[in-house]
Amino acid sequence: MANEKTIWEKLQAIDRRVLYTLLMVIATVSLFFKVNVPTKPGQPTKDLYRLLVDDEALPEGSTVILQSDWTQSTRGESAGQMEALLRILMRRNIKFALLSVADPQAPLVARNVIRAINLERKAKNQREYQVWEDYVNLGYFPNAEGTSNAIAANFKTAVAGRKETPPGSATPLDVFQSPVLSKVSKVEDVPVYINVTGSKTSNILIERLGGRVPFAALVTGVMGPETLNYYQSGQVKGVAIGLNGVAEMESLMEKGLVETGKPEVKSFAGETNYGRGMAYYLALHTCLVLMIVAVVVGNVAMVAARKKK
Amino acid sequence: MQSESYPIIKLFVGVACTVGLYSVLYRETKFYRFFEHMFLGLAAGWAMFALWGETLKSTWWDRMVGSVADEGNPAVPGYWAWALLLPIGVMAYFVVSKKHNWISRIPIGIILGLWSGQQVQVWFTRYGPQMQSSMKPLFPTTWSEFITPLQPEAGAVYPAQVIGNLIFLLTLLSAMSYFLFSFETKSKLFNGMTTWGRWLLMIGFGAIFGSTVMTRFTLMIDRMYFVFIEFFQQGLIPLIGGR
Repeated sequence: MANEKTIWEKLQAIDRRVLYTLLMVIATVSLFFKVNVPTKPGQPTKDLYRLLVDDEALPEGSTVILQSDWTQSTRGESAGQMEALLRILMRRNIKFALLSVADPQAPLVARNVIRAINLERKAKNQREYQVWEDYVNLGYFPNAEGTSNAIAANFKTAVAGRKETPPGSATPLDVFQSPVLSKVSKVEDVPVYINVTGSKTSNILIERLGGRVPFAALVTGVMGPETLNYYQSGQVKGVAIGLNGVAEMESLMEKGLVETGKPEVKSFAGETNYGRGMAYYLALHTCLVLMIVAVVVGNVAMVAARKKK
Repeated sequence: MQSESYPIIKLFVGVACTVGLYSVLYRETKFYRFFEHMFLGLAAGWAMFALWGETLKSTWWDRMVGSVADEGNPAVPGYWAWALLLPIGVMAYFVVSKKHNWISRIPIGIILGLWSGQQVQVWFTRYGPQMQSSMKPLFPTTWSEFITPLQPEAGAVYPAQVIGNLIFLLTLLSAMSYFLFSFETKSKLFNGMTTWGRWLLMIGFGAIFGSTVMTRFTLMIDRMYFVFIEFFQQGLIPLIGGR
């Protein structure tokens, strides 16, 4: 009887597997509720949206370099970012040259997202993005530092030899013959260099590109605080951080951007704007509430147990 | 029938792998080990394929052997000098030889040399703009309004802005003073600054940790979305209902 545990001791000794199960149940149940959680976009995401949608910063029909450095390991955050980004680029007829330096799986994963967004457009009777005409896949380049250096020094030489097959042709042709890269020979020829990354390749690009071209980054929550330093110093023109950044971007796509002293940036109201970001956002909030409750209960239980002793 | 079933089979394999890898949360078992090794094998196999197909062939092999003219592509002469890269690359594999592993240091030395040579420029392009942006005005140039208005005058520094800049400077100097380990100081002011710097660093690390936790939660939520929404709700249930 003397060894019987108090409620406080029992609370402190909850098996971690019970907490894991509780977390998974709460996350899963939340996913079935389609709720648009209200968001107030932060300045880094607003600047990113302005950079991507404002016609002065990125003229309609121009070409950007899109470096996709994420795989399934960060799908939770990076897939939503990539989807939101591609929706904006495709709606504005922005051409893009796709490349990866972080992981050999990254080009395949990026192509899958392009295919999914194309299917979404097809279902809405919108024009599908065509390889060669609208985008080219430059593929995977090992050694992020060396590749970024080469791209900064001479883009045309860095990606020389890469080929893509135009639709209706059996022969792969040099990517610089495509409408996407026909007017691009150096990195300064593109209005924006975009990096969707699940690793630190954004840092490598900042240090190697050295401000030659406006740079935008869509990073994970892990990289977010570090990337904000570069945003504050103007080395990154716009940033979307983690799932929060995705939800903010989706919200801006739906509502547009109005800022005092700056031109209004249009919305894409009526289109599919809310995607993976808003689908996960409620679940993220409920998980965070569970964590806060667990931390508070654990600490209260510890203090109460100590007092009793 | 085969093409109809393929997406659901693909999703099922994904779900099985997710369950297999998440089973480590319960305990590390042979079931988990199987999926872990399968994942590693697949990743390594895919990496080898992608390295050849997407990188080595176009950037090394094709340039070495050249190509004949075909529809839309002009003839490109091959450059034999690219072949010299092969022995340098092969040297790296001597790292597994106990007797000749010194050979592997040659390509490593080349890479280190190239990397080191770039660091001066890289350091400045990375930190130069940050140092520049740390130089903030500490005196107001206008008292017309205390708080910075929504449409500020060009070049004007408002008092509220100066307060923000002073907090920034205090944070910067305090955090930097914490890392001065080279000498001992008995100054109360300096010791106070280092203590304050340590507190600020801890607050910063806390914020970073919070952001990291959010990422981990999101990754778990995504897996749950894959299993319960993409597989069950959008894949399996319509398939069963359709039949």
